[in-house]
Amino acid sequence: MTPETTTAIVADGVLSAGGQDSVGTFEHRKGGETSDIMPPDAATPQPPPLPPRRLPSPIRPSAFGAQDVLILVAAAMSSLCLVWVVFYQLTSLSGGVGFLVCWYVGFVVLTWIATAQVIERQVATDRVVAVIVVSAALLIVAIVVFIVLWVCYKAIPSIHWGSLFTKDQKSFVVTDPHALDQVGVVHAIIGTFEQVLVAVLIGVPFAVATAVYLNEVKGWGVKTVRTVVTAMSGTPSVVAGIFIYSMLILTHVLTYSGFAASLALVVILLPSVTRVVEEVLRVVPSGLREASLALGAPEWRTVWSVVLPTARSGVVTAVLLGIARIVGETAPLLFTAFGSQVMNWKGYFNHDQGALPLVIFSDVRQAQPVLINLAFQAAFVLMAIVLVLFVLARIFSRPKGKNGKRRKARPDDDDLMARMFVPIPIEQNEETR
Amino acid sequence: MTATLPSTSLDDAEHPQVFTGTPSAGEPGQVDAHDVCAWFGDRLVLETVDLVMEKSKVTALIGPSGCGKSTFLRIINRMHEVVPGAQLAGSVKLDGVDIYGPGQRAMETRRHIGMVFQKPNPFPAMTIAENVLAGLKFSRTSPANKDDLIEESLTKGGLWNEVKDRLGELGGALSGGQQQRLCIARSLAVKPRVLLMDEPCSALDPTSTLRIEQTIKEIASEVTVVIVTHNMQQAQRVSDYCAFFLAEENQPGRVIEAGRTTTIFGSPTDQRTFDYVNGQFG
Ligand SMILES: Nc1ncnc2c1ncn2[C@@H]1O[C@H](COP(=O)(O)OP(=O)(O)OP(=O)(O)O)[C@@H](O)[C@H]1O
Ligand SMILES: [Mg+2]
Repeated sequence: MTPETTTAIVADGVLSAGGQDSVGTFEHRKGGETSDIMPPDAATPQPPPLPPRRLPSPIRPSAFGAQDVLILVAAAMSSLCLVWVVFYQLTSLSGGVGFLVCWYVGFVVLTWIATAQVIERQVATDRVVAVIVVSAALLIVAIVVFIVLWVCYKAIPSIHWGSLFTKDQKSFVVTDPHALDQVGVVHAIIGTFEQVLVAVLIGVPFAVATAVYLNEVKGWGVKTVRTVVTAMSGTPSVVAGIFIYSMLILTHVLTYSGFAASLALVVILLPSVTRVVEEVLRVVPSGLREASLALGAPEWRTVWSVVLPTARSGVVTAVLLGIARIVGETAPLLFTAFGSQVMNWKGYFNHDQGALPLVIFSDVRQAQPVLINLAFQAAFVLMAIVLVLFVLARIFSRPKGKNGKRRKARPDDDDLMARMFVPIPIEQNEETR
Repeated sequence: MTATLPSTSLDDAEHPQVFTGTPSAGEPGQVDAHDVCAWFGDRLVLETVDLVMEKSKVTALIGPSGCGKSTFLRIINRMHEVVPGAQLAGSVKLDGVDIYGPGQRAMETRRHIGMVFQKPNPFPAMTIAENVLAGLKFSRTSPANKDDLIEESLTKGGLWNEVKDRLGELGGALSGGQQQRLCIARSLAVKPRVLLMDEPCSALDPTSTLRIEQTIKEIASEVTVVIVTHNMQQAQRVSDYCAFFLAEENQPGRVIEAGRTTTIFGSPTDQRTFDYVNGQFG
């Protein structure tokens, strides 16, 4: 029995001659296909249009309905009344926090009882768990919103925009309680900027190099280095400060200066950026490395021209988040930058320097309302900087669309942030969405 | 040119060329594999493979899954040694020069023996044009005329007409079949002497598959092609020579039979080959 070698069946069922001819045949067919398979519309008799059918109205059996809302509201209200009576009328306790806690416990218990009565016990337990989970999430959101609003509330009304970004605290007069237009935090902004910038310039190349070592080189020391990096990211930031202080300042290698602060910040920046960049490099498909090697590229070329560019957005995001992490660090600056009232951007290497966290730390404990206000304004500026960094990080964590521009935000971008940007799979999923 | 597969004796004296690359770059090359064995860790997965891949011909490697076809292919362009713990023995000669000989560099070999992988893998951070030129960039050579080279390579890869207006778009913006043809064009741009293809069509639809088969036939005059495929029809359509690999239970992979494709499919001498090509096998 000889197999039929001259005829090949193409996978889609089109029969074509084997060998050299098959492709030619295919090309030929492609041209003539339309008339074969799809007869012109005019020739086909149109079926009579179907009468429109009425759709039944959709229901969602497990939806959260009016009755459920009623139970929750009722439970909340009755708990409020109950706790108020017990708290203030019967036992004459006092205190807002205790009241709130008792009210919440009463609310949960009453929700359970009411649901068990109206519906069923299983459902009641389910519902109570849901209520607790949702309120935990709401509590976190509430805390964050509260902090932001609180700082804004304390800072904005007294802000003197003209001086905040142009003046330092040199001309602060203790006797003048309303001299907010005489002072500002520009010295601290510049100080923080210099300290963070140099920390990033020193730290990021080291972090990226270490991440490349951990992920691409696969030498004998990888496990050890990874463990050390992980341990390092657990170092309390005050220890980073003490380290630089005792190693460089006590030994008179450096004086209190912005540069010493930068070095302390590097200690904090290194492990966090390293770990994130390592994660980013790990999701670069190994097929790309193989393709590059198979083209005759040396290993370093592969890393430099293929792996890092592929992960570029992720690396940028990692750096931005790293900056956001160190820009508000206070403890390591206490022993290093030391803090200063005056603008001295030139004194970066050899002079005490101000920084935003240090302004907050020292001024908020002062007696003069001007300084307290200034501390809150510094906190406001710091928060604004971090916010901008996070927005930038979110933008960079989005992959580029087909036209090379970054696409619009999608609901799953948070997920993306968590995974620190995966370029290729998402690019390919673009069609299937 | 007679079909003397599998080759058992190779006379080195008959191949006096020196493998320097530059002079004969771009000319199709002949690959002689002799006594090739491969290990992953301590496990022998490929045993004494002797195979000659003739110049300017398409050789297909067929055989059931796990019999060592990919391993053999990766040995030919020194990608096997990238896997940690992988070892090998035997010799592989490109136009008579042992690529594992002393002083031979893996990078140099890979420039002469290109590879196309099962999964299309264009570089996502590069544009289509940059993808084509990537191999040259890696070896720090700049072509006389970049635009001509891009057009030439993409035309050979059968992709030029589809992408000539969008060379600046990113490589990931193409369909799977187009990406695979881009990868072929990228491999051809460095003017290799041998092109290895590991199941290049297994992730593609029938139309793209036919396009790639057409491409393979067109380039065969300029580059020796070695292709791994699970598709018997494809092996018959594209290849001149064919080698059947088999790994029997708890045995390393071996070449059972090799020869002209028409012989392997028409009148194989080994019963196992007959069973496999007629689909009566695992
Ligand atoms: N990286 C690896 N580490 C350990 N063993 C491996 C590795 N790659 C392949 N092997 C083993 O080597 C043998 C040959 O594998 P190979 O990939 O060459 O098979 P193949 O013929 O290409 O199969 P397929 O047709 O499924 O691609 C298999 O038994 C496989 O388990
Ligand atoms: Mg394989």
